[in-house]
Amino acid sequence: MSKPFEPKIVAFVCTYCTYAGADLAGTSRLKYPPNIRMVRLPCTGRISPMFILKALQKGADGVLVSGCHPGDCHFTHGNYHARRRWTVFRALLNFTGIPLERIRFSWISAAEGVKFAELISSLTEDIRKLGPFEQYKAMIHETEAPVSL
Amino acid sequence: MSIQEQYRKKAAELLSSGEVKLVIGYGSGSTPDRRRALFARTADDAALFHVDAACDANLSGYLVNEGLLSDKKKIGIFLKPEGIRSVNILAAESQLDPDQIVILGFTEENGTVSGLQGTQASDFTSLMTALKENRTTSEKEQALVDKIEAMTPQERFAFWQAEFEKCIKCYACRQVCPMCYCKRCIVDNNQPQWVHTSSHTLGNFEWNLVRAFHLSGRCVECGGCDRACPVNIPLRLINRRMANEVLDAFDHFSGMNQNQEPVLASFKKDDPETFIL
Repeated sequence: MSKPFEPKIVAFVCTYCTYAGADLAGTSRLKYPPNIRMVRLPCTGRISPMFILKALQKGADGVLVSGCHPGDCHFTHGNYHARRRWTVFRALLNFTGIPLERIRFSWISAAEGVKFAELISSLTEDIRKLGPFEQYKAMIHETEAPVSL
Repeated sequence: MSIQEQYRKKAAELLSSGEVKLVIGYGSGSTPDRRRALFARTADDAALFHVDAACDANLSGYLVNEGLLSDKKKIGIFLKPEGIRSVNILAAESQLDPDQIVILGFTEENGTVSGLQGTQASDFTSLMTALKENRTTSEKEQALVDKIEAMTPQERFAFWQAEFEKCIKCYACRQVCPMCYCKRCIVDNNQPQWVHTSSHTLGNFEWNLVRAFHLSGRCVECGGCDRACPVNIPLRLINRRMANEVLDAFDHFSGMNQNQEPVLASFKKDDPETFIL
């Protein structure tokens, strides 16, 4: 009997907002699926699109990028820069056929533990429905590089 | 006097008067319908220049050759409107001093070449505005864009996978691009290695994505990558899609002037963010 598909989701989060929000979700004993792998970064401005590509390259089924709401950046405008970059990169991914449902962006503040837990739940459900990212996995397989995450 | 004669004379004058130390233009290529870059240092060399419909390379990339402009002397260069735009971008990105560049501008339409008024990058402001207003796409290219946009993500992925499969990672697209002036390209970086360097489909996919991303908001659509690609990947198509995106989202048309802020190094507080949850 095969096991049901459990998606692997990589989340790149800003330490000042979303990471703290996740922390709040934890201390509030909110439940959310364990499919998420968090990578904590100093700011959304530090999140290079290369990270997203790397996550896919290593076999992620979905990617979440999340940080402070506009105006709340610890470094005053890191998230504004990130926003432009995402707009452009998202369009590029769309044009090259990476389903946008797999790459999500959000603003989650340190006070939004509930939003965090809900987003992770809905994201995991969505990606579970989409299934594994077979098209990308076929490419990875071709390289014969060990896939581990 | 034909436009070619005029420009040869102009280049010879620039060189003999000592105003410029070098003129970069187009000389004969390996076949009669091809042109290759010609570097004229004396007035006699200027007689070898060609200005015709076959001159399609964007020569501005030569300007960022290491040390070429460091002696503060001027350089003359034959440029089409796209080339002038790339000089503007290079100036905006502090790669060169636009005062050192003497532009011999020309434009080509349906096989006929005509001259452009002005010698400094800043003389072409109205031309840039006109280019922004009247963005044109060839019918063939537009048809392909429409076809791709109408596909499902799976089909699009398969389309690009088939295209990128052909890539042999020769990096000709990078070498030919005037915007790819980094001393160390991210793909040559192996600590950490972001992009697979072998030319399997995944590595090719990543490389082409990274390339398109780094050129978004900077590409002037001169088509150099398209012409350079030995396996005919429609590279300009991706760049064009990115150019449309920055124009629609941020009203940014690359290379408008030499003080234009790079689109991904600036922001507005009310930038669109429809997709962010």
